[in-house]
Amino acid sequence: MSSHREAPEISKDPVADSTDVYAFVSPVDPDMVVLIANFIPLQKPDGGPNFYEFGDDVRYEIHVSNTNRAESDISYQFRFTTRVRNRQSFLYNTGPINDIGDETWNRPQVYSVTRVVNGKSRVLARDLPCPPVNVGVRSTPDYAALADQAVHTVGSRKVFAGQRADAFHVDLGSIFDLGALRPFNEAHLISMPAMGGVNAVQSYNVHTIALQVPARELTKDGRPPTSVLDRRSTIGMWATASRRKGRVFDQKQGKFVGRGPWVQVSRLGNPLFNEVIVPMGQKDRWNSREPNRDDRFEKFVNRPELGELLPVLYPGVFPKLAAYKKPRADLNAILLTGIPEGVVPGFANYTGPVKADMLRLNLAVPPAEEPHPLGLVAGDAAGFPNGRRISDDVVTIELRAIAGLTIPLVDPSFTPDDAAGAVEDGTSNTNADLLNVFPFLGLPGGGYQTQPGTTQAS
Amino acid sequence: MTDTNRRKFLAAAGIGTAAGTVGLVGGASSASARPRAGRAKEPVLAVVDDHHGSEVRMLVGEREVVVQDRDLVTRILNAAGGE
Repeated sequence: MSSHREAPEISKDPVADSTDVYAFVSPVDPDMVVLIANFIPLQKPDGGPNFYEFGDDVRYEIHVSNTNRAESDISYQFRFTTRVRNRQSFLYNTGPINDIGDETWNRPQVYSVTRVVNGKSRVLARDLPCPPVNVGVRSTPDYAALADQAVHTVGSRKVFAGQRADAFHVDLGSIFDLGALRPFNEAHLISMPAMGGVNAVQSYNVHTIALQVPARELTKDGRPPTSVLDRRSTIGMWATASRRKGRVFDQKQGKFVGRGPWVQVSRLGNPLFNEVIVPMGQKDRWNSREPNRDDRFEKFVNRPELGELLPVLYPGVFPKLAAYKKPRADLNAILLTGIPEGVVPGFANYTGPVKADMLRLNLAVPPAEEPHPLGLVAGDAAGFPNGRRISDDVVTIELRAIAGLTIPLVDPSFTPDDAAGAVEDGTSNTNADLLNVFPFLGLPGGGYQTQPGTTQAS
Repeated sequence: MTDTNRRKFLAAAGIGTAAGTVGLVGGASSASARPRAGRAKEPVLAVVDDHHGSEVRMLVGEREVVVQDRDLVTRILNAAGGE
């Protein structure tokens, strides 16, 4: 998955687990930038009675670097507070919830938004209500209306925090079964009949923090970006979750309490970076570090394990990739520095020589009139790896890049294998419909409306 | 060596003043410790990672205060031993 359960330690702490981040120029208002961070993976919509919610003991952050140092020049912090209205009831809601202020919602959650610039904090808003989760047709009969009520305007910004449908699509069951891609089953080392991909994330929800801000709020000079090739037009973005360093179980309260400073336990910039690039023994450490210290992970980008596995798992399919022994400068640019001027005509999102996993967005690239799910590699410079739109098919893009499709960008002497331009996991976006307006992610599936999936032992 | 001289405070996150940890250790030492004006007035979690070393990390509020004090480590170890 993009970053769902991607490292051993964070997989045991779902409330702090970042799953996807998105950054794109708003297709509704190109003067605005949308930054989205999702957390709490694989929520089964009917998972009551204690439904999913943000952690009151977690500090969620969206970071922006605009000085080419890959440091958090601007961060937006989100802190949540949960109340229990009726401690004598076991119910999440004691009646239908028709308004996010209804007393029938027994566990309302509110949050604050703090903007930190160069270490100086300013609280932008307090006590902003989240929506309840989508319990079902009786409890949350008009969920779209509840979700709309949770879109808040804070000055010139918009903010939303609450449950949404996951928009990521991937064939988890196949990819983690020895790197199998169902459409190419016949070519796999352990051959099976080919079939279509299965979108494993299709019916699950996540918790979303979405922020829409004016582009000028994110640039170094406070001005709207105007030139694509101006270095000041590109920002780096990533999300983190932090917990208190010390955690003690308070038997009087029956819960853990935090002590000491906040420490980072989850990080996410480019999709699949920690999941696929970083080896098992270093994933937890990666999650606790700042992006500007990613030079120690560069060797895994320059020689990705998956790039070496593909020719083994698919014998005879990737001979040119197998023979390519140079460091992967294409992946290094895409994931660690941004693409410098001169690689893609008229485009750059280079942020300087500091090796850092950040989602880089050139704010001067206008939204595409007809977005292509394969983004930049398909000629659509408004898509991944220039930021990431919700509809970008990042699994296919990164699979093909690792398979060698993007090597010619930096090494014209290399001709990719034919399969590099065709490899995919066979899934498409069969998740909930996306919205055309903020917060853009689809409405979460309801508990009552959920049908169990299918599985079998053999 | 006095209590003041013995303690060398290293502050994580740029903060390094009084730590107020005397209540953590029992026995005769606590009788000689006096509360300071700048002592912590909230729960403190003290951590000794290396029982051979001299470092005590104290998690207090949203800060971490690191003290190099072998005597304090010894007193905590003695207390932790239940003696």
